[in-house]
Amino acid sequence: MHGKRGRILPYALTLLLSLALASAGAAADKVIKIGAVYPLTGNIASTGLDCLHGAELAVDIINGKYPDLNLPLAKTAGLPNLGGAKLKLVVADTKGEPRNGQAEAERLVTEEKVVGMIGAYQSAVTKTASQATERLKIPYVCSDSSSPTLTERGLKYFFRVSPHDAGFARDQLQFLKDLEKAKGVKIGTIAVLYENTEFGSNVGKQVLMLAPEYGFKVVADISYTANATDVTSEVGRLIKANPDVLMHASYITDAILFTKTFKEMGFNPKGILTFAGYIEPGYLPAVKADGNDIIVRSTFALDLAKSKPLVAKVNALFKKKYGIDMSENAARSFAAPFVIADAINRARTTEAEAVVKALLATNIPGSEMIYPWKGIQFDPKSHQNIHARGILVQIQNQNYVTVWPFDSAAAKVIWPFPAWKTRK
Amino acid sequence: MMTMKKPTAVQVVFYAALLAGLLAFPLIVKGTFPTHIMIMVFLFAMMGVAWNILGGYAAMFSFGQAAFFGIGAYTSTILLMNYNVNPWIGLVAGGVLAALMGAAIGIPCSNLRGHYFAIASIAFAEIVRIHFNNWKFVAAAEGLSLPLLPESLGNFMFHSSKAPYYYIILVFLLLSVLICWYISANRMGFYLRAIKESHELAKGMGISFVRYRLYAIMISAFLTAMAGTFYAQYILYIDPESVLILPISVQVVLVAMLGGAGTIIGPIIGAAILLPLSEITRVSLGYKGSGIDMMIYGALIMLISAYRPQGVWGLLTTIGRRGK
Repeated sequence: MHGKRGRILPYALTLLLSLALASAGAAADKVIKIGAVYPLTGNIASTGLDCLHGAELAVDIINGKYPDLNLPLAKTAGLPNLGGAKLKLVVADTKGEPRNGQAEAERLVTEEKVVGMIGAYQSAVTKTASQATERLKIPYVCSDSSSPTLTERGLKYFFRVSPHDAGFARDQLQFLKDLEKAKGVKIGTIAVLYENTEFGSNVGKQVLMLAPEYGFKVVADISYTANATDVTSEVGRLIKANPDVLMHASYITDAILFTKTFKEMGFNPKGILTFAGYIEPGYLPAVKADGNDIIVRSTFALDLAKSKPLVAKVNALFKKKYGIDMSENAARSFAAPFVIADAINRARTTEAEAVVKALLATNIPGSEMIYPWKGIQFDPKSHQNIHARGILVQIQNQNYVTVWPFDSAAAKVIWPFPAWKTRK
Repeated sequence: MMTMKKPTAVQVVFYAALLAGLLAFPLIVKGTFPTHIMIMVFLFAMMGVAWNILGGYAAMFSFGQAAFFGIGAYTSTILLMNYNVNPWIGLVAGGVLAALMGAAIGIPCSNLRGHYFAIASIAFAEIVRIHFNNWKFVAAAEGLSLPLLPESLGNFMFHSSKAPYYYIILVFLLLSVLICWYISANRMGFYLRAIKESHELAKGMGISFVRYRLYAIMISAFLTAMAGTFYAQYILYIDPESVLILPISVQVVLVAMLGGAGTIIGPIIGAAILLPLSEITRVSLGYKGSGIDMMIYGALIMLISAYRPQGVWGLLTTIGRRGK
């Protein structure tokens, strides 16, 4: 009995080892290796994969010839200044853990010899990964992490293309100002509601800090844990504070719970402005029409195609390759490979110091991007893209439509938020 | 039932060769990644050894070791960042604080047995995690990035090579093993085993039940907090999600159980199997995003727990006995 059972273990181990060995490194020829760290297993694996797809499509476009795409390096195959050298993504899984971010960044640099790094979606992982590349002196271009602290560290080799949470908070306040002007309405008071991990509390902090600057009064400051199962007391406090506008930073499950509780208790501000959770793919199927008229921050929406035909072309390519529409996450991660390839191409070398110098001189015009920005230029100190900004989308008839900035809008904003009693 | 034997000549040679091999490892193997894996092995082996003092000898199945780990990491980091205290002093301070916390929960919980102690330890660790997640003084959920100091042994920080980290954690591990060995070979070890076998009998023999369990918790907490400080100095960034979460506690228990709970060498074997396995499967299969690495990892744990609940060390000793 024992002998028979004991034999299973060695087989299992041998199988494992051979699987591990089978995936040896690929042969290196004339390629420029860029490391990509993403959470590809664990509870946000689907988001990580979505990000990776965006980056992969960008690399395809850089490496291939796409004469009708007005994107950097799209029209030529590879990097023309380096004899048509091709980009190659070397992908690593972080499992969403900061210590793996560090370990994988180090491994990619020292063993896979990557000359640049992109990723890692979660801000905490990006923190350790970019610390590792900083020590190893390798340029890191991030276009998918939104914690403001990332570009407050004074790192020399780290650059961020996408907007951060402080910027998003500013965008929403600016939207309210623009709205006051455009519609002749008066908005006086704001309530901030946020989940209490790094993401939410950062947003809360920013709104509290910036609101007075825009002339709004914060009448409620409420934090909660994202895995709460009942939020009636939070909503009760909101009703008591009676704000003109609610600003809510949430993940997905709490966004669903709050929406249902708002309806049940009849919480009716003039506008509900939100972050993140309300735009996750699972939100609308869960709340259906109850999500209508809520406004969410975003960096990208497919209806931007109305003012930017490039968006439709890129989305068509994405859909052809992966069978689904480009999400906000995929669209954000799409930026980094272009930025790093453009810098290497201008530097005419992959040598880190020269690439950093080229990154600092980056000037990609807004017309060569799928985002509604003026362009990409980095602040010489923080290395944050000074033109990065968010857009606001509103849920109208259970669809996300761009409503701000008004010049990129696909539809008019519905304001004020219709009373729950009058809604179906 | 258990007697301390003098090690045989073969064992002495084996352990000496193993130690020599470990000492030479960073000199022979180039590349940071293998060194990183070894550091993680030692780190979790150390925590496994510390857990073993509680779970293996005293039958207090703690699923809350992450709390001690986090307290160690946070204490030294806060002392360094806010008060400019040397990390080595922070290491001791974190250990002492964790030991006191251990005592504080140990007194009310030391009468709990089996599952009840496990549940209480989870609750304790979760309270600590939630508290840190909301505590502005420790930057709440944002986490702390350690200031980069010039590299030196005194600063407990090295940038150009991982080898110093490797040797430090190896020394920590050896220290933990020595403490564990000392306990198991002395009165406290026998008392703990007696308590494990039968509460009532041990009590009847006049063994101070609460006192020895308390000692076990405090020693275990101190060593685990040391590992926490090491983690902070090595990764240079901590937040509640990376040092205080339940999966860390579970990983520690797995390491000890897989290798063989209640033996000195067991947790080291467990760590030497589990950590490289998870790293290698992640590196070679994880990037495909299929989760197959986690499946293999999980399947192996299931195989071992189903067929060899006494752990790999139990398996090896059985084979050894059969060979004779």
